[in-house]
Amino acid sequence: MATTEPDADWHGDDSSISQLRGRAFEATCLAATAFGLVSVLLLLLFVANDAFRPLSADSGWLLTYAVTVVVPLAALAVYYYRLDEPAGEVAYVTSGLPVVGVLLTGGFAVMFIELLSILEWFALVTSLVAAGGLIVAHGRLRPNAALERLVVLFGAPIVTVLGTPPAQFNWLVTDLAAALGVDFGLYHRVISLREVLLRLPYVPTNWLLLLGTLVAPLAVAGGVFVARRCDSRRAGFAVVGATLVGALVGLVTGPALGIGYGGWMLLVAFVALPVGVYVEGVVRRREGVRGLAFPVTAVLGVAVGSVVVDAAGLAGPDSWIDWGFLTSATSRTAADAGIYPAMVGSIMMIIVIVLATFPVGVGAAIYLEEYAPSEGPMGKFVTLVEINIGNLAGVPSVVYGLLGLALFIRIVQWPQGSIVVAGLAVGLLILPIVIISAQEAIRSVPDSFRQASYGMGATRWQTIRQVVLPEALPGILTGTILALGRAIGETAPLLMIGAAASVRLAPNGFFDVAGMMPRQIYSWSSELEPAFRHGVLAAGVITLLAVLLVMNATAIVIRNRYQRE
Amino acid sequence: MTQNEMTSDDSTDPAAVGTTATPDPSGEPLVDQSIEVDGTDSSAQAGREQVIEARDLNVFYGDVQALQDITMSIPENQVTAMIGPSGCGKSTFLRSINRMNDLIDTARVDGELYFEGKNIYDDDVDPVALRRRIGMVFQHPNPFPKSIYDNVAYGLRIQDETENLDQKVETALKRAALWDEVEDQLDKSALDLSGGQQQRLCIARAIAVDPDVILMDEPASALDPIATSKIEDLIEELAEEFTVVIVTHNMQQAARISDKTAVFLTGGELVEFGDTQSIFENPEHQRVEDYITGKFG
Repeated sequence: MATTEPDADWHGDDSSISQLRGRAFEATCLAATAFGLVSVLLLLLFVANDAFRPLSADSGWLLTYAVTVVVPLAALAVYYYRLDEPAGEVAYVTSGLPVVGVLLTGGFAVMFIELLSILEWFALVTSLVAAGGLIVAHGRLRPNAALERLVVLFGAPIVTVLGTPPAQFNWLVTDLAAALGVDFGLYHRVISLREVLLRLPYVPTNWLLLLGTLVAPLAVAGGVFVARRCDSRRAGFAVVGATLVGALVGLVTGPALGIGYGGWMLLVAFVALPVGVYVEGVVRRREGVRGLAFPVTAVLGVAVGSVVVDAAGLAGPDSWIDWGFLTSATSRTAADAGIYPAMVGSIMMIIVIVLATFPVGVGAAIYLEEYAPSEGPMGKFVTLVEINIGNLAGVPSVVYGLLGLALFIRIVQWPQGSIVVAGLAVGLLILPIVIISAQEAIRSVPDSFRQASYGMGATRWQTIRQVVLPEALPGILTGTILALGRAIGETAPLLMIGAAASVRLAPNGFFDVAGMMPRQIYSWSSELEPAFRHGVLAAGVITLLAVLLVMNATAIVIRNRYQRE
Repeated sequence: MTQNEMTSDDSTDPAAVGTTATPDPSGEPLVDQSIEVDGTDSSAQAGREQVIEARDLNVFYGDVQALQDITMSIPENQVTAMIGPSGCGKSTFLRSINRMNDLIDTARVDGELYFEGKNIYDDDVDPVALRRRIGMVFQHPNPFPKSIYDNVAYGLRIQDETENLDQKVETALKRAALWDEVEDQLDKSALDLSGGQQQRLCIARAIAVDPDVILMDEPASALDPIATSKIEDLIEELAEEFTVVIVTHNMQQAARISDKTAVFLTGGELVEFGDTQSIFENPEHQRVEDYITGKFG
């Protein structure tokens, strides 16, 4: 190095390089972020406080649960975070799985109560399985008949679930038969397998049907999973056996615990089986076994806490959200008001939205990204369409409500305020969002994959089906679920299509008039009694947010799961 | 697949200078296969067949002409290298051999390009069928984000050739000199492999469907020297069985591995085409000599 005296200037301590503006900009950005987050958080705390009213509890009650539940769990969380991260992951999953399982159980229970009886479910599942069997058998017998397979793929489920067309279409069937040179004589409608099952003279009891259509298949799936993981068939059979025994034990213990047979079956299938399979894997790998302490501590803490609270006669908080709120209909008195029918309405609306927007939105996105020409007059037209889809994403939701009113109620003459109208109107609203996010996901698949596939002599369809879609699916699902989160909270279209302001009975079909959660919350906001506006409203908002949170969490889990691979 | 392994018994071919015939332990089944094929195609014994022939081929991207009146023929079961500066159209020519240019909306092709005596730009040629006979390996390794096994099986599956799939995948990986490294991890993601392994996987994927021709677009330019030399050895072995057309920026590479060399220069012109040895030792054109010796700007 040079021997001359060091030049002090180059290190920049004379502030010749000004970083003032940069620092100021950074601070402003931080402030903007903090402001947004803090204001949302404050609002949530405010609403949650109104809904749960934790301060209405005796201080002894709060103290007891703080000591038995909060402190031990917090200590465990700190321990996992600092010292034992794999155990933290185990704790996270073992606490999350039962929650997801209970939510699923609740969903299925609501479905069986409101939508279709267990017998109808059994008939539907059995006919779909039969259709699947037909498709597989056809693929085995005639592996090279592509067009025929397409017909079977769509025809088999239709025939097993719906049967042949009704007698109004007599002419169609007889003409077709005549064209093929067959003479039926008089055409009789062939009923579907589903209808045959519904008319069986002897029907097994509900729990047996659930055991056959839900518990047993899930148990076999869990058994196959475990058998692959341990490389032992015995372990797989053990899982199946344990699940079935667990289900049958419920026939004795269920009534004692106040759980119906059907509820027990659902709990075994959705909670006990997945948790058991996961815990077995953790114990066998001996990795993060300490994480199992977290859910055990939580359950023990709650149990000990409730014993202490009962013994000391301490009163809990007078929360607006409780079991009664979630399971009863709205009422004239605030204390009896509940959100159950609106929640069922919202969930059924989401089903309609998914069925309507997912195929259309993803199909449009695939066409625009993979097939549509980018050059020439057609290319210009496609660009115009894309710009308009972008604009449609910004059209106010009231306008979509108006569109739904005109299209589905005035023209198609579906019942005003019915679930299918609400679902389609809100579905139209999120359709542009679904298309745009699916387009983004498809565009983010590297072109080199497509090139490689085409270079191998794949057709466009094979490339899309086997390379582009599997790679884009997580992105498509994430975008769609986030759009559904927006859909479930939309209020204006529901007002326009005349969704019920308050309903006492949950809808039993998709053409029933129903209320949805945001609509119900909106009508509570204009009740005269303050208890509605401050308490019940807050409880409704929290319920809606909880449903939203579950959906967003699902989106995040899906995204992380695929990114890890 | 037509007459193979000609190279193995005529290593005195002047074009094959620099190639050392290395005995391949995994080559046994391949030789068996070649015996049957040789019997069916005796006319090829007389001399090398020209498997690809371009006549006055012009390619345009919009208004820009990328290739000008290319006329050349590529011999069977040899390595033909295409060299030239960036933007000279050598990759365009490569991509017009298996009609990958069809995927670019603005591309337009004029002239004729024969593959086994059939003009591939005839209306009755399905580019998908053509690409099943002419495989391609790209500049950057681009395995699918699937398992190693699924990558190699991809081409077989899309062509519904799923009989003996395991056997075919194993053979392809052995031919691509990758089997020993991945034998135990066929279920692992192909993206976990190193760059050189990924490129050999792409070669295995391309040869699994047994094409006639393999096009390689600068297959080693994104790899380190060791991985590059493995790919070069592999290319020489592949030429015993396949017709290999390779685009490269690396002139030493072209000199080492190719039998024939085509020199493209700016403007999409094919300036000189001939045996590699004579191109590098005694080029006819001054421009080619300038380019090869590095004087070209």
